[in-house]
Amino acid sequence: MASNGRKADTVTLTIDGREVAVPRGTSLLQAAAALGIEVPHYCYHPGLSAPAQCRICLVEVEGAPKLQPSCVTIAQDGQTVHTDSELARGMRQGVLEFYLVNHPLDCPICDMSGECSLQDYVFAEGRERGRAQEPKRVFGRDDFGGDVLYYGDRCVMCTRCVRFMDEVARDSRLTVVERGDRAVIDTFFDSGLDGASFAGNVVDICPVGALVSKDFLHKARAWDLDHAPSVCPNCSQGCNIELHTRDNLVQRLKPRENPEVNGHWMCDYGRSRYEWMNRTGRIERPAMGRGEERSEADWPGTLEALAARLAGNEGEIAIVASPFCSVEALGALSQLAKEAGEAAAAVFRSPRAGDEDPLPGFPLLVRRRDLAPNVDGARLLGYARTGTDDGSGGLDEVAAHRGVVFVLGDDLNDQPDDFGAAADLFVYLGTFDSPAARNADFVLPVTTFAEEEGTFVNAQRRVQRFGQGLRAPGSARPAWLVLGALLAFLKSGKTPANAAEAFAALADEIPALSGMSHESIGPGGVRLEAAHA
Amino acid sequence: MSETPFRNPGWAGNTGEFELSEADVRGSAFVGRRPPEGVHPSTSASYPFMRVERDPGAKLFDGPWRERFEKMLTRYPTAMAALLPTLNLAQELRGHISPETMDEVAGLLGLSSAYVRGVATFYTMYNKRPVGRYLIQVCTNISCSLCGADEVLAAFLKHVGAELGENSSDGNFTVVEAECLAACGFPTCVQINERYFEDVSAGDVPAILKRLVSELEGE
Amino acid sequence: MAYPYRHERETRVLSEGFGDPRARTVAGWREFGGYRGIARALEIGRAETIDEVRRSGLRGRGGAGFPTGLKWSFMPKDARRPHYLLCNADESEPGTFKDREIIRWTPHQLIEGCLVGSYAIGASHCYIYLRGEFFESNQIMARALEEAYREGIVGKDILGSGVDIDITLHVGAGAYICGEETGLMNSLEGRRGEPRIKPPFPAAVGAFGMPTTINNVETLAATAHILRHGGDWYRQWGTDKSPGTKLFCVSGHVNRPGNYELPLGFPLMELIEDICGGMREGRALKAVIPGGSSVPVMSADECRDCSLCYEGVEAAGSMLGCASVIVMDETADIVRQVRRMAQFYAHESCGQCTPCREGTAWATRILRRIEDGRGTEDDLDTLLQISDQMTGTTICVLSDSLAAPVISSIRKFREDYLALVRRGERVGVA
Repeated sequence: MASNGRKADTVTLTIDGREVAVPRGTSLLQAAAALGIEVPHYCYHPGLSAPAQCRICLVEVEGAPKLQPSCVTIAQDGQTVHTDSELARGMRQGVLEFYLVNHPLDCPICDMSGECSLQDYVFAEGRERGRAQEPKRVFGRDDFGGDVLYYGDRCVMCTRCVRFMDEVARDSRLTVVERGDRAVIDTFFDSGLDGASFAGNVVDICPVGALVSKDFLHKARAWDLDHAPSVCPNCSQGCNIELHTRDNLVQRLKPRENPEVNGHWMCDYGRSRYEWMNRTGRIERPAMGRGEERSEADWPGTLEALAARLAGNEGEIAIVASPFCSVEALGALSQLAKEAGEAAAAVFRSPRAGDEDPLPGFPLLVRRRDLAPNVDGARLLGYARTGTDDGSGGLDEVAAHRGVVFVLGDDLNDQPDDFGAAADLFVYLGTFDSPAARNADFVLPVTTFAEEEGTFVNAQRRVQRFGQGLRAPGSARPAWLVLGALLAFLKSGKTPANAAEAFAALADEIPALSGMSHESIGPGGVRLEAAHA
Repeated sequence: MSETPFRNPGWAGNTGEFELSEADVRGSAFVGRRPPEGVHPSTSASYPFMRVERDPGAKLFDGPWRERFEKMLTRYPTAMAALLPTLNLAQELRGHISPETMDEVAGLLGLSSAYVRGVATFYTMYNKRPVGRYLIQVCTNISCSLCGADEVLAAFLKHVGAELGENSSDGNFTVVEAECLAACGFPTCVQINERYFEDVSAGDVPAILKRLVSELEGE
Repeated sequence: MAYPYRHERETRVLSEGFGDPRARTVAGWREFGGYRGIARALEIGRAETIDEVRRSGLRGRGGAGFPTGLKWSFMPKDARRPHYLLCNADESEPGTFKDREIIRWTPHQLIEGCLVGSYAIGASHCYIYLRGEFFESNQIMARALEEAYREGIVGKDILGSGVDIDITLHVGAGAYICGEETGLMNSLEGRRGEPRIKPPFPAAVGAFGMPTTINNVETLAATAHILRHGGDWYRQWGTDKSPGTKLFCVSGHVNRPGNYELPLGFPLMELIEDICGGMREGRALKAVIPGGSSVPVMSADECRDCSLCYEGVEAAGSMLGCASVIVMDETADIVRQVRRMAQFYAHESCGQCTPCREGTAWATRILRRIEDGRGTEDDLDTLLQISDQMTGTTICVLSDSLAAPVISSIRKFREDYLALVRRGERVGVA
């Protein structure tokens, strides 16, 4: 009976001669995808309703009087479907020809070139030459406000953008204006998309170069970009993203699908804040000595000297760490502190927005109040919040601490020049030098999250991995590596070879992380509680 | 040619022995004057929304028009469904649907302004800019075209003295081409504001225009 | 009373009151036997009402010819959710002018049909989607409905039956595509009149997400008579597959164009030669479009033995559609007329589906070029191919409706096209 029950939940059909079993209710397009067959499509998007209007996903279903739109046709038991029959291919070629009747074919100056569905499909299956001889219809370019530009001539009228604003952003600012071949996408006259906090997604879902990012305009060609899987560092939601880089610079952030965190989307706040990852003027070499005595040194000498100081330490240890640092770095620092003495304080500071900004049609995604990626990781690892909502203040005690002071990733911008002057030992692990770090005995250049691998814990208490997208400047090293090496000195242990090993070392000791590994976290992340369920 | 008598105004038929008055044929004798506040809610949306009288500054909606608007709302399960009737009413009052009107209508029904623009631009009867006191729509679709619609259109343009789609200098007329008006047996069909003029030939045009002007002056 | 175009061979069922202003009032309409159909329906009950219509064999008069009784039977029988009847009075198929006549001469005929239909499908609210341009006829309709409400014929407890049926006049704003049933539903809901993908079908998910039936004006009007006299009575006219009478809208180059009500199956040539008084100025017949501009053009030869019923016109290579017979004589310029139709479809395309949005506009541009003498023979092949690409590839059949006249005209009147592309000579003047 149980097997009968299961049978009722799946249907088996044949697509292009191959059999596939899919859950009841699956569309033909998705069923084909399960076999690795991509049926061309424009209007269909997995995160939106399907109007079946682009007509390029039509497939041949045996027994049906005409071609069926695969995006909305539900797979039936025993169906035989052809996505690549002469009929289906001929129809696609026809539809593609229609798309090109008025398309400007300005690929050489189009930002979408290289990742454009129209380009790809026409290249794969289009006619060698179009037959349209008449002058093309011209709409020109329209500034939609925000970061969005609209090139009406390139538009395929799939209306994904309109549906995103209606169904997901629930802010119906885009519409189809006019009808027939005069139809274009527009806002309410000049009112634009300004202030719509998720509007950047319409650029991502545009299958062609009709909606483009002003910020990215003419910056790079798609085929020159490297893609690194990452996690958005700009709030504690931890939207899964990709860093698109070229010439060791982040060129743009793009959402990476994760149905449990951000769906297909990300917010404009997060998307627009990547330039800091490209900032120059970084600390590139380790250095020792306070004030005038500061001199650069090599890593082995520096670490050896610091390890010696820590080994002989008798003072209490105060830590300021940034929630922009990875779980691996924050964990290694608290382990090191535990090894080197008594804890006085472990705090973090984080800017906080006045309110949250949810995405109404995908309520899991919220631009959170905490504007840093690892606030929950820091808390989990024993760090306490301090300071005000603009991420400043709260460090008076640490600034005057007499024992050991560690600063990790917090650039102390608001702190006085005599910060740490009273400390026996002041260690500054950071990316930028700071006037408040003048009293540091050790200045250790570390990498940003973009230059390393690691994990963050988001506001859903989900541990998520990020990958490396940029090369580190000079001899900056990941903080987990620097701190792991120091720990190895103190415990006569082994320095972790990579972030996964650094995480494994933590998982052994921190109950909340026990049993987890980079491998088990995978590309989509794991919730802390789920890992132990 | 300008002296050609105007035949059968409002009724098609230059071959039959039709005895009814124009008012009977148009139904105006039967309809009478319908009050601005409407009669029954079921018919409150059924008013001509192309009229000579218009006031671009009229409020949306006041007095009797407010009453009719409220009546309309009672006939639909959603506010959105009242969008076309509301736009109709707005055009009936103001003569065209400006961006401001779209915005106000959106506010009245709790819709986004962009949405209202999308809907308003879908339908050809909404004038997106002011038109002449008489909007003259000449059907040039197949049945009329077979019987000389192009000459009728040319005659209107010539006698009005304006380009297609442009307002005449006195603001009285705008001549446009229309799609089939469903009076194909009586070519050429011309819709002028709320009225159909059927069986129009090019020779009838001066008389029709003269009649329209005299109606304006009569007011 | 002299309605200008009538003919002794007509069978006047629907058109009996045409030309008689008295039919516009309740009392007047009762003199024509009005409101007896709905009274009988209320007496025999819903299921019997549907059966009566099914027995009559009435087929939808809006163009598709789908059996009305069958369509009504698709509606769910439970009354847990509101059901809607939508009356499609958005008449705008070029060549068609029958619904406007029904509305302006016999508004109560339509009201009665709406009541019968609503009652049959269990709808307590019927929307009559009136074409926006019909200002004059709409007001006649409105006055009639107001009176029907006053008389207790519409509204609560209609005719003392305990049944509530409301009717609302909803006025469109100029879009041919709203005559497509799902486009009409979207328009009624206050949206752009873009047709919806089917399934779901309206009987399951229609207007406002509720079970809905959409019927044409003439269809509903006929049901009033069918209920009054019985389904078998209706079958005394027409053919087995196309029972009953039909309003034929004849336009173009005939002496007496107009609406003629004839039994289905009436010979096309007799309609032209006898009923319509023959071709203007005795000219020769060149072509006929028998069912509104969306159906294939017929050559004069194909007209010879064509009888005007659904199956008869199909056998002659076209479709009856809404029986809008557009007649062209030897002076007709086929290329120009096909271009004008293409222009219409391009103008009215809602723009959702790519083949229609781009195809109708592109075909128009090619046809214009050919008309201007700048076309080539290759263009004819291109037109045939893109017409093929526009057929069966879209949500609704608007682009198919252009493909039909384009393909048929190029096949049947190729010489007219060739004269233009080869020699720059126009054939015909109209």
